[in-house]
Amino acid sequence: MTGRRFLGVMLAVFGVVILSASAAVAAPAAKKGGTIVVEMTTDVDYIDPQLSYYGETWKLEAATACKLLNWPDKEGAPGAIVTPEVAAGLPIISKDGKTYTFTIRSGFTFSNGQAVSARSFVNAFNRFANPKMQSTGVQFIDIVQGAQAVIDGKASTVSGVTAKGNKLVIRLTRASPDLLARMTMPFLQAIDTKLAGQIDANGINEYASCGPYYFSARTPGRSITLKRNPHYKGQRVANPDTIQVNVGNDVAVEFQNVEKGTTDYASGGIPATEWKNVVNKYGLNKKDGRVQVRPLLDVRYVAMNRSRPLFKDNSGLAKAVNWAVDRQAFSAQGGYLYGKRTGQVLPPGMLGYSQQSLYPLKITAGSAKQAKKLAAPNLRDGKAVLWSANAGTAPLQAQLIQYNLKQIGLDADIKLLPRAQQFTNAGNPKTATFDMTIERWGADYADPYDFVNILLDGNQVANSQHNNYAYFNVAKYNQQMNSASLLTGSKRGTAYAALDVAMMKDNPPWAPLVNSNDRNFMSARVSCLTLNMAQGGGPLLNVICLK
Amino acid sequence: MLSYLVRRLMWAGVLFVGVTLITYALFFVLPADPARLAAGKSATAEDVARVSHQLGLDRPLHEQYGLFLKRLVVDHSLGRSYTNRRSVNEMVGEAVPVTAALVVGGAILWMMIAIPIGIISALRPRSLIDRGAMIFILIGISAPVVWIGLLLQYFIGFRLGWTPNAGYCDVFNPPEGASCGGPADWTYHLILPWVTFAILFAASYARMIRANVMDTLGEDYVRTARAKGAPENIVIRRHVLRNALLPIVTMLGLDIGVALGGAIFTEAIFNLPGLGRLALNSVLNLDLPTMQGVVVFATLAIILFNVIVDVTYAMIDPRIRLA
Repeated sequence: MTGRRFLGVMLAVFGVVILSASAAVAAPAAKKGGTIVVEMTTDVDYIDPQLSYYGETWKLEAATACKLLNWPDKEGAPGAIVTPEVAAGLPIISKDGKTYTFTIRSGFTFSNGQAVSARSFVNAFNRFANPKMQSTGVQFIDIVQGAQAVIDGKASTVSGVTAKGNKLVIRLTRASPDLLARMTMPFLQAIDTKLAGQIDANGINEYASCGPYYFSARTPGRSITLKRNPHYKGQRVANPDTIQVNVGNDVAVEFQNVEKGTTDYASGGIPATEWKNVVNKYGLNKKDGRVQVRPLLDVRYVAMNRSRPLFKDNSGLAKAVNWAVDRQAFSAQGGYLYGKRTGQVLPPGMLGYSQQSLYPLKITAGSAKQAKKLAAPNLRDGKAVLWSANAGTAPLQAQLIQYNLKQIGLDADIKLLPRAQQFTNAGNPKTATFDMTIERWGADYADPYDFVNILLDGNQVANSQHNNYAYFNVAKYNQQMNSASLLTGSKRGTAYAALDVAMMKDNPPWAPLVNSNDRNFMSARVSCLTLNMAQGGGPLLNVICLK
Repeated sequence: MLSYLVRRLMWAGVLFVGVTLITYALFFVLPADPARLAAGKSATAEDVARVSHQLGLDRPLHEQYGLFLKRLVVDHSLGRSYTNRRSVNEMVGEAVPVTAALVVGGAILWMMIAIPIGIISALRPRSLIDRGAMIFILIGISAPVVWIGLLLQYFIGFRLGWTPNAGYCDVFNPPEGASCGGPADWTYHLILPWVTFAILFAASYARMIRANVMDTLGEDYVRTARAKGAPENIVIRRHVLRNALLPIVTMLGLDIGVALGGAIFTEAIFNLPGLGRLALNSVLNLDLPTMQGVVVFATLAIILFNVIVDVTYAMIDPRIRLA
């Protein structure tokens, strides 16, 4: 969602299938050794496992962490199934769904030679919840018994997480169908006893890891070095000897460096105008090709503020906006292969997504006429305030939406804001002085709850901070959202699919525009490319190898 | 002299408090919440409140500013970054040598360009060389630093590959994993930033030197020296240049402060981990302690330069002390 805090990390719920743009690519014979050079436009926040909360850091931790459950290092659907890693198998779940018992596999070892045990995970929970760590992601474990007491400083250990021999037991305050997905978050990776004792809110930059790699060095603002874990005996691949991350170049320089071959992967992307050129030059999604594009679990949309007079109880105008916006032109501003046009809340690949033709994905004379017809009786004062970010392609996209709205008689005044300010103010009822805001949401984890409930549940609109930028608060839908969140499996998917269609058809809170793509540009010297959207997109750094 | 010095230092103190207070006030006027940013996009109102408390943002402005001053004066600490909780002293300390390398190297380069151009243009006014120099000056002054930097980066660094297109190498103790290090790599990586940084100043200095030299050439003592039969090179060197370049040296001292601001663009383009980039990133991340750290350092540096210049002037010219 945000430039700074966009997690970009997707945790799929058990059984969710992520559709890949191309068929899964069979991994070639791995060529081990050498150094892979990666560039990031901005530095990570921390590399401390209980503090790091940036998508870019989590991509690195995908190579360094060992977790109870993890995503396989595979493409497409096989890579989106939560799979036991340090756990010997899936947990035994109590009948009430509140107690999970894991058995820990032997043989996992930290890079300092210490063995991984059930205690290593208990330590992770305790360190994560410790208020002295000031971890900002602790809301993800508030369903664990005793976690809140530790977060509040009333207890020193999370009573709901216990270890006995090779058994790890996690007790919850309520049944939570997405616990397994949450367990794949890097916050909850195994930590060694030394790190467990290092309670430092400033973060630790040197610690032992139990994944295929460990962080061997970090110079904040400049570079991060990952080296192969000499004690790793797990099943995961570890192709390069070293993964060198250089920080700070902008996308234009990253592009130049990948072209020259001094960098292997531009993690920060390349200029929007270059995508067409590189695809023409190197082809698209070829086996181990230089340009790899996959769909992300995200959505870009115009939220229509139901708390303001223009859109309050005005579903007619909301529908008209959906008919008026030029999704094709909006997408074109982001460059070639920016994304797939959409008129729905849920993105393709998400549990519950079912493709519908609710609104035009391309403007035609007929759709323009329909938009005008729907808008005419619902324009009210005919004026709107449209918020947009002030960087990149956002101002151009805002102008485009402004033009589209003008065609239906709505005179929109654009207000450009720094991205951080835009979403901060939009989520605060006191500062949400917009009628429409152009937004983006990327999944924290691949479950429809993270889109539908988080973004549209009306129970949160009175909070001083929330993500329901449409201030959409319809009792009928709130109830349906709550009911859907308690379901599992296909019933869950069916319920969310119905909600998506019902809301967008009858009372659209947004004008959804595009589901973005994860676009990757690689150097000529690398191969073994495996892109896993559940691990945040981009090629898996432990799998990538030199030709 | 002592009372003058005390007066200057007191004013410096007032200036320091004024600048840091304004930075604080501006930060709080911004309608954005760093606690919300730090808490992440899925944070609840309670999470934001907790982070706000942890960062001390729930205290009133005057209290926060008071704590900042106390920490600075008593503990000599600029605090910790909101973004990554690193010590700001450490971050500023790491960035200063980079910016110093850029500014000092750039200043040497712009003087090396400006002095010969300015003098030759003044000695041969309206000649082909003079007109060519004027074109350079016009471009140098008109073209934005960013544009010049990007062009040099693309054509010299990327297309021709004569220099690195971005990045920085440490002269001593390069970090683990660094692809370069040592004096040769350091110089090689700074060539384009120095050129970019120097062009604007070189152009304006060349214009000023040209004007000063032309003025001085018309002075009575120059005419007298020539009338006495002094060789032309002696006249130029001893009588013209000595007098014409004195104000330029004074200006150079004052412009170093201005140059600190200009370094932001150059450092951003060429990814130099100096004060400019640190300032830019801290503004983008609403990281007040880091932003304040850079402001404190820059303010102190400029105040120090000004005090040195003032005191030197006072020592040279007694009328200033009496004023």
